[in-house]
Amino acid sequence: MSNVLRPYLAAVRSTLTAALTLQDFSSQIVERHNKPEVEVGGSKEVLLQPLTISRNENERVLIEASVNSIRLSIKIKQADEIERILCHGFTRFMMQRAESFIVLRRKPMKGYDISFLITNNHTDTMLKHKIVDFIIQFMEEVDKEISEMKLSLNARARVVAESYLLAFNS
Amino acid sequence: MDVNFRKIDVDQYDEDVLLDSELYEADPRDPAQVLDDAKQKATAVRSSLSKGDIVGALTLVLTDTPYGPNVEEAKNLNLQTLVTILNSTKATEIPGVVRSLSQDAQDTLMKYLYKGMGLPGWGDVSGSVLLGWHEKLTEVAGTGCIVRAMTDRRLV
Repeated sequence: MSNVLRPYLAAVRSTLTAALTLQDFSSQIVERHNKPEVEVGGSKEVLLQPLTISRNENERVLIEASVNSIRLSIKIKQADEIERILCHGFTRFMMQRAESFIVLRRKPMKGYDISFLITNNHTDTMLKHKIVDFIIQFMEEVDKEISEMKLSLNARARVVAESYLLAFNS
Repeated sequence: MDVNFRKIDVDQYDEDVLLDSELYEADPRDPAQVLDDAKQKATAVRSSLSKGDIVGALTLVLTDTPYGPNVEEAKNLNLQTLVTILNSTKATEIPGVVRSLSQDAQDTLMKYLYKGMGLPGWGDVSGSVLLGWHEKLTEVAGTGCIVRAMTDRRLV
């Protein structure tokens, strides 16, 4: 892990660990319903203060906690147009297969690139520290993945341009 | 037929509906006095900073912080004062400073750190400074401090 990224990820890790204290909570409005309160947003007393962790304006994480669910939204670093396109394609690919990732949300929150929704069912069936590890690992990998894709895209574009222009050389 | 009446949130007319003001005790001071206090604290902090007394300055700025509605100006002023302290502290001094704060002051500091990171415009707040403080504070006060900052309704 690079040294500049470390305090940022450490802050996300500790905040997520603190927020992941979930319990079963039935809907207060509809009988025999059990919904993630952070998505319903119906009653104030079960929602906690949303916390933002940011490295700079373009890289931030929003953690919205409630009594039985938390929502974590990530804004991924996008320096230029190519990175924006790659990031959009990458997150879209993941979100179309959201049920394979279990905690992934199908749509990101407004202003963010990708969102996770963790409910008390997830913390009951999975280990809490493993969920935290998964999120942190995702955040580490996604930056690496996008910069790698950008490099290979540029290399490929160079090869294509060379072999195309070779025809005019002779 | 007009069906808009179906979209009315009938729960808000319930007589035992929960109001914002019932979630926390309101500040007994009135907004003008809160702003005055914040200004006085800003000058006091500047004088203790010039003497190099960082712990004293932090304790001063983290006690009786403005919270609740109608005191936006005092909140911003207090945040500015806090940020000047945070920026002028050397990274090696942070653990000692954090350790000598009381638990209430630590919780309030945590609230301000999250508020600083959540600001859209940034201004003179630097992300790496806040993240450094956050890391040291979590080491000293643990995740309980974050939970208290998250659950407290008295927004700074």
